[in-house]
Amino acid sequence: MTSELVIGMAGAGGDGIVSAGESLIVAAAVEGYHAILTKSFGSQIRGGESSCRLRVSVDPVLNPGGTLDVAVALNWDDFLRFGAELPTGGRTVVIYESASGVAPDRVPLAGIVPAEVLPVPIGAMARESAGTEKAKNTVVLGLLAGWFGLTPEAILAGLHRKLSKKGPEVIAGNDRAFAAGLWHAAEHPLAAPRRLALPRPSTARKLLADGNDICAAAAIFAGCQFFGGYPITPSTEVMQFLGRELWRYGGAVLQAEDEIAGLGAVVGASFAGRKAMTATSGPGMSLKTEMLGLATVAELPLVCVNVQRGGPSTGVPTKSEQSDLFQAVFSAHGDVVRPVLAPTSVADTFAVTVEAFNIAEEFQTPVIVLSDQEIAQRKETVDPIDTSAIRVVDRRRPRAEELVGYERFRLTDSHVSPLSQPGMEGGNYLASGIEHTETGAPTASGEVHARMNEKRLRKLDPLKERSALFEVEGPPDAPIGLLAWGSLAGSAREARRLAAAEGLKVKLLVPRLLYPVSERAYHSFFRSVTRGLVIEQSHQAQLYRVLRMFVDVPRGMEPFARSGANPIRPEEILERVRQQAMALQRVHEDELQPQE
Amino acid sequence: MSTMMATQFRSDLKPIWCPGCGDFGVVQAIYRALAAVGRPPHEIAFVSGIGCSSRIPGYTTAYGFNTVHGRALPIAQGIKLANPDLLVLVAGGDGDGFSIGGGHVPHAIRRNLDLTYIVMDNQIYGLTKGQLSPTSPRGLKTVTSAYGSLEDPVNPLLYVLAYGAGFVAQGTPADMAGLAAVIEEAIRFPGFAFVNVQSPCVTFGQAEAQLRAHKAGMQKLTDLGHDPADRLGAMALAQRYGEALHTGVFYRDPSPRPTYEAAVRERQTSLGAEAPSRARILEAFLPRTSA
Repeated sequence: MTSELVIGMAGAGGDGIVSAGESLIVAAAVEGYHAILTKSFGSQIRGGESSCRLRVSVDPVLNPGGTLDVAVALNWDDFLRFGAELPTGGRTVVIYESASGVAPDRVPLAGIVPAEVLPVPIGAMARESAGTEKAKNTVVLGLLAGWFGLTPEAILAGLHRKLSKKGPEVIAGNDRAFAAGLWHAAEHPLAAPRRLALPRPSTARKLLADGNDICAAAAIFAGCQFFGGYPITPSTEVMQFLGRELWRYGGAVLQAEDEIAGLGAVVGASFAGRKAMTATSGPGMSLKTEMLGLATVAELPLVCVNVQRGGPSTGVPTKSEQSDLFQAVFSAHGDVVRPVLAPTSVADTFAVTVEAFNIAEEFQTPVIVLSDQEIAQRKETVDPIDTSAIRVVDRRRPRAEELVGYERFRLTDSHVSPLSQPGMEGGNYLASGIEHTETGAPTASGEVHARMNEKRLRKLDPLKERSALFEVEGPPDAPIGLLAWGSLAGSAREARRLAAAEGLKVKLLVPRLLYPVSERAYHSFFRSVTRGLVIEQSHQAQLYRVLRMFVDVPRGMEPFARSGANPIRPEEILERVRQQAMALQRVHEDELQPQE
Repeated sequence: MSTMMATQFRSDLKPIWCPGCGDFGVVQAIYRALAAVGRPPHEIAFVSGIGCSSRIPGYTTAYGFNTVHGRALPIAQGIKLANPDLLVLVAGGDGDGFSIGGGHVPHAIRRNLDLTYIVMDNQIYGLTKGQLSPTSPRGLKTVTSAYGSLEDPVNPLLYVLAYGAGFVAQGTPADMAGLAAVIEEAIRFPGFAFVNVQSPCVTFGQAEAQLRAHKAGMQKLTDLGHDPADRLGAMALAQRYGEALHTGVFYRDPSPRPTYEAAVRERQTSLGAEAPSRARILEAFLPRTSA
C-alpha cells in the first residue's frame, strides 16, 4: 500500500490523455482523496502532444509532486517532448504502448532504471474492445485502476456522465475498453504491488476547482458586480466563469476591445458604486498601467488579477513564472503604493481574492492579485470552505450629514474619505486624474500635491500590520528559514516537511501580502533564523530584491531563484536546505575549535 | 416641460480656457440642453479624457470624471453598465476621440449604450500648445509639422456614420441655439449619440476656423432639405467635412436599435430568477460523477 501516487501521462493531441487525467481527479475527489492535476500542451492550438500529471494522496497535497510513480507513454516522442515536466526515476513504473516496438530493456529514459517496465498493446486492446482507437485513454484508465487500486466504480461513473451525450454504443464500448484494461492488469500483476491506500473517512465532500474558476467564484462571493477584460492566456477562465455566472447576481461582464478599455470600464463601474474586477497576464498588465494610476489617484476600489506566465513579452504564455512582481510593485508613474497579494494554492485563491476586494474597498485603492499559471490552471481538490467565517467589506459611503458640504477627498485621521457615487444627492464631485484639493477641484499646488500624496500613501500603512497575511510554519527555534510565495509556497511547505523528517529544523514564512512590504513581519522572521533561502521562480530573484529595499535581509538569507516554466520542486529545495544545514554545522564546529 | 434652470448645472470652478475659446459656448449649450432634459445633476455622470475640452465636466454640477487621455468612452460604458439609470455624457477633443482613443469609438458604437458623446473638434492640440491633430487639414504647419502636415485628416462624421451610430450631428458655438438643440436631441436619443462640435481654438487655430467664419459659412442641414432618416444622404453630406460646415442632425435612426444595457438587464432578469445565494457559489465545484 502506498499513501500517494504521482502519475504522468503523455500522448498525441487526440489520444485523450488530459481527458483521462480529468476523469481520474473527479473520481479521486468523489472518493475523498486529495489530488492535484496539471496539464501541459504543445504550442499547437489543436493536436500536437499533450500531457498531464496527477498527484493523488490520502493526505493533503501541496504541489504537483516531483518524480513520477507511474509514467504512461502512448508514444515515446510525445512523452519525451515534456522532458523535465515528466521526470522519471528508479521508483517509476513505466507503462507504454507496445506497438511502438521499443523493447522493455530499451525504453528511452536516459540514465534511469525504472522500477518496472510494462509494455501494453493499448491501441490493439482499444480496437478489440471498443472497435476504435479513440478508447485508448479508457484502456489506460482500466490499467491504472487495476494495477494501482484507483476507484474503478467512481471512474466508470464519471466516464458515463462524460459520455452521456454520445449514446449507449459509445458508453458500452468504453465499458469494454475499461474492463480490458482492468483484466490486463489482473493478468499481469506488478512484481512489487503498489496499491493506493483507501482515502481517510470524511463526512464533508471535497470540491474540485482550478485557480481561475475559484478566483471568479470568490469575486462573486465578495459582491463583485462588474468584470471588464480582454482574453489573455492564462487568465481567460476568470472572464469565462464570470461570463456564465455574474449575470445571475445582477452583474455584467464586458469583453472589451482591448486591455485598456477592460480596466477602463472597471474604473467606471467602481466610480458608479459597484465592486469591480479585471483579470489579465503580464503584457495586459503593461497596457493597464496608466489606468491603474488613475484608480490610485481617484481613490477608486478595484481588483486587478494578474495570472503570471513566462515573460517578457509573449514569453512562455502557457507556463508559470513569478517574474511580474517588479511590474506589480513598480510599474507606476508618480509616488504610488498599490497593495499586491499572492495566493498560494487553488484553495487559497478563494480567500485571497475576497481579501483583495476587502482591501480595495476599505482603502479605496486598486489591489493586484498576483496569481500564476500553475495555480490558475491546475485542478485541485479543495476541502470545504466555511464561507460564513469570511468577512466581506464594503466601501465607506458618506452618511446623510456628510453629504452636506460633501468633500470627496477630505483629509481624515485614517486618510480614507467617504466615497459617494452618482445618483447620491449632495455627493456630486469631480473625480480626476489631475491632482485635486479636498473638494476635488484641480490644482497645481505643490503643498496640496504633497498632502494628497501623503494621504494616498499613508492610508495603506495599517495593511502592513495584518499578521494574518503572513503565515509561519515550523519550530520557532529553527535556525534555517525558508521564504516562498505564490505557487512555490506549496513546494516549500513540502520541502520543509521532508527536511523535518530528516531531523533538520526549518521554518517557513509565506507572505500573502507582497506589497507594501511589512517591515515588521520580515524583521521578526529574519531575526529568528541564522540562514535560509528566498525561493522564487524568477531569474532576478524579484522578491528577494524588493525585500532588500525595505528590510535588512541577513547575509545568510540567500535567493534560490530561477526562470519559470519548470517549477522548482520540493526535492531541489530539500537539497539546498541540506547544504544550508551543513554550512551551519561548519560554522558551529569552527566556533567550537579552541583558539590558537 | 422641465423646471430646471441652466444655471443649476454651472459649477463654481472657473474655466481655464483662453478668452474667446469655443468651449465656453459648448459648456453653455450643455447647461441649456441639460436644463431642457430636466434630470437633476446628481443623476448625471459626465466623463471626459484629457485636453482643453476635457476639463468640461468640472464646470458642471454633475458627477464629473476627468479621466486619462483617450479613455473616456470605456470608462463611461463601465459607469452606464454599473448604473443604467444615470444620464451619461462623454466629452473630449478631436485628439482624445480620434487619435489616442480612436480605437474605442467603433466599439462604443457597435455596443450601443445610451451615451452622448460630444467631441470639441478644433483641428489642433491646444493644451500642449499647437501640435498637429488627427483632424488637422493636410499641409497644416504646426510646431510638430514645420513644413506642413503630410497626412489627410480623419473625417469624424463619416467615421461614426460608417460604424453605425444611431445619431450623428454637428454644431458650432456660433449658433448657440442650434448647438443646444442638437445636444438636447442627442441626450434624448435612446442609444449611442455623437455630436461633433466645431469649437474654435482662438490661440492655435486657423483663421478660417473661427466663430466669425463659422457664422458666415455654416449651412443648416434643414435648410438643405436633408432628411435625417436618410443614412446614405448623411454620408454624402459628411464627405464634405473640412470644406463645408453643415450644422444640425446628419442622421437619426428612425427605429433605434435596442441598447446594450437593455439587453444586459434582460439577461440579468432571465438568469437572475435561478440565482443561488452568493454564499453558495462554491457548490459549483462539487465534483459529480452521476448525471
